[in-house]
Amino acid sequence: MKQFIKKIAFYVLMSLLLFNGIAFLSLQILGKSNFYKPEFVKNTVIDTNFDYVVLGSSTGLTTLDTKLIDSITNKKGLNISMDDTSLNSHFLMLQHFKASNKSAKCLVLAVTPWDLKNKNPKLNNNDYRFLPYVQEDYVFDYYNELETKTFKPLSFSRYFPIIGVSYYNTEIFYPSIISFFNSNKRNHFDDKGNFCYPTNGKPNKLEIDEIEVVINNPFYFKIKEFCSQNNIKLRIYISPIFKTKLKIHDDSIIDQSNFLIDEEMFYDNIHVNQIGRRKCSIEFAKYLK
Amino acid sequence: MFFNSITFAIFLPIVFLLYWFVFNQSKKSQNTILILASYYFYSCWDWRFLFLLIFSTILDYTSGIMMGKYESKTKRKFWLWLTISINLGFLGVFKYYDFFASSFAEFVQGFGLEVQPYLLQLVLPVGISFYTFHGLSYVIDIYYKRIQPEKNFIDYSLFVCYFPLLVAGPIERATHLLPQVKIKRFFQYEQGIQGIKLILFGLFKKVVVADNCAFFVNQLFENHTNFTAVELWIGSFLFAFQIYGDFSGYSDIAIGTSKLFGIELLKNFNFPYFAKDIADFWRRWHISLSSWFRDYLYIPLGGSKGSKWYQIRNVFVIFLVSGFWHGANWTFIMWGGLHAFLFIPLLLVNKNRRNLSNVGYSYKDFPKIILTFLLVSLAWIFFRADSVSIAFDYLHRMLQFDSISIQFYIKNAKYILLSAIVFVSSFALLLLEWCFLKKYNGEIVLSKGMLFLLVAMLLFMGVYRNQLSFIYFQF
Repeated sequence: MKQFIKKIAFYVLMSLLLFNGIAFLSLQILGKSNFYKPEFVKNTVIDTNFDYVVLGSSTGLTTLDTKLIDSITNKKGLNISMDDTSLNSHFLMLQHFKASNKSAKCLVLAVTPWDLKNKNPKLNNNDYRFLPYVQEDYVFDYYNELETKTFKPLSFSRYFPIIGVSYYNTEIFYPSIISFFNSNKRNHFDDKGNFCYPTNGKPNKLEIDEIEVVINNPFYFKIKEFCSQNNIKLRIYISPIFKTKLKIHDDSIIDQSNFLIDEEMFYDNIHVNQIGRRKCSIEFAKYLK
Repeated sequence: MFFNSITFAIFLPIVFLLYWFVFNQSKKSQNTILILASYYFYSCWDWRFLFLLIFSTILDYTSGIMMGKYESKTKRKFWLWLTISINLGFLGVFKYYDFFASSFAEFVQGFGLEVQPYLLQLVLPVGISFYTFHGLSYVIDIYYKRIQPEKNFIDYSLFVCYFPLLVAGPIERATHLLPQVKIKRFFQYEQGIQGIKLILFGLFKKVVVADNCAFFVNQLFENHTNFTAVELWIGSFLFAFQIYGDFSGYSDIAIGTSKLFGIELLKNFNFPYFAKDIADFWRRWHISLSSWFRDYLYIPLGGSKGSKWYQIRNVFVIFLVSGFWHGANWTFIMWGGLHAFLFIPLLLVNKNRRNLSNVGYSYKDFPKIILTFLLVSLAWIFFRADSVSIAFDYLHRMLQFDSISIQFYIKNAKYILLSAIVFVSSFALLLLEWCFLKKYNGEIVLSKGMLFLLVAMLLFMGVYRNQLSFIYFQF
């Protein structure tokens, strides 16, 4: 028995050392790459001061083309939106943006009415993209707060990187290999952080919905506070939603929800395609001016 | 508590340490801790069904004692049929009642009568098919005086509820397991090491091979009309790997876990995808169930004795019952029936027993292996499909070669990566098994290097984020 336990302990220890080493390397490589948005913000974006940044989920990522807006307004913008996220991730991204020594005069917070209303934010599907920076307190605290189960793969990665790297192996380990061979590889966004949907999608809604915009999400208030502490002007932006009327009580919200009616401009019910994106960006430039 | 969960990874070492360091004074204390651990393990699914398990244990135990007490055949028969009826009654109520009720309603509707069946819609107690068969083999063996009834209730309880095999087998026999739980176990180094190796190999099969295949298989079978013939063919092969990785992986983990407690379980799989014909496949797939049906159904029906017609009838009965055992759905009955059809030609030409022993392989066997795999994979479609009509439609579309596109498997970077993982891991599994068969005569022998490679594949290719249950837990 003694021999058995010794042998098992030895191999477990060896495996822990070896595979944690590999996982650590994997996170290091990814952390120095451009693959995902957090890494792009930290490593690729050379400018440190921006006139505005667009922060949101897929609607922010695919509606406002900062390249086009900059060419119209002569301002300097950046899109730091990430698909499949919500206000809590946006708050994390904002902290990360600041921690990467970047600043902006105006934050365009591209959100959906549903996200603003959500009282119980949860960890998002793409939050693992901050894993290379889990040693930073703001990332660790975020994971620790939102991982509600006893087993917290993202938080535990601060001490055992192999946990997060193997839990998210297809999302972390393989991209790190790709980044090792091609450090310029970006995962579906351009050098200004934008992405657009093609024109082959269609919305599929028949009746018009009416939604009241209510702000309940605690992370919105955290973002608001963060902006006021850092002298950043905060503007909420709502992108086009097919056949949806919004009841908005706050005049400061930039509302484009009804700006597009033609279904040819949409990729699906809540995302515009590249034609819609162009129209929205030109219109948005007017607000920015 | 799944074998591939963190909870089990914590549970197993705790039970192991308690078993060997705290409760190791006697056989009684060893069995007691294993029973407590088993009941806790089972109650993690649904504690209410624990009472059903305990009731079944008490019933089979009492029946065994009563049968041992009486010499009169009538009284023994009474206890036997009482136990069989109650055990199968539970199985019938929980697993089959809704199926019979709705099938009857559909049948009557065929004659123009409108019947609304009363459905129970009960949750199926996990492992009920396994522990019921477990208990049945015990009482039948006592009835036929193959074994003596077990007088020690603790020993018998452990035989029924032993956690490594409780929820998905292997279906143990009293003749094999009871003698092991009746003596104090002493730790054996080699057995322990082999147990760890089997657990790792089983996890590899489940978490790397099966769960990655499931990513594609689930999409294909949920909406098979959207895919090309080639994609559907690949899908049927992937399901063959998924179900094999899933179930044999579970069995390996169960056998490996049991070795850690000094108890050997029956072998459940013997490299079935290297079978040379369907009969050979059934000697290698879910061996504990096949042999159960052989001993307690096929042979009592007359087995291979009597005229060819009787033999054919017996083959059909055993395959249909085996299919039905898996689940209350016509798809499983069709699956069983299809295997009977594939088996009958071998029986008719007296070639169903030609590959009885592992006599080795020659290059001439490869076409036979591939043909058997192909037939088995086609039959799996019925096993996986939600209904018989969907299965037939799936098969029909497999034959419509209007496009050879495999776009589904390479539609974006994620799909390409997962396709590569599925291909590499399935190939690695086949290669390893071929090596075990050829080099080690079927023994699972893993060198240190291979173990590190397995662990690396487990960590960097396994599915953890969207963890899947074991397919056989639903049976």
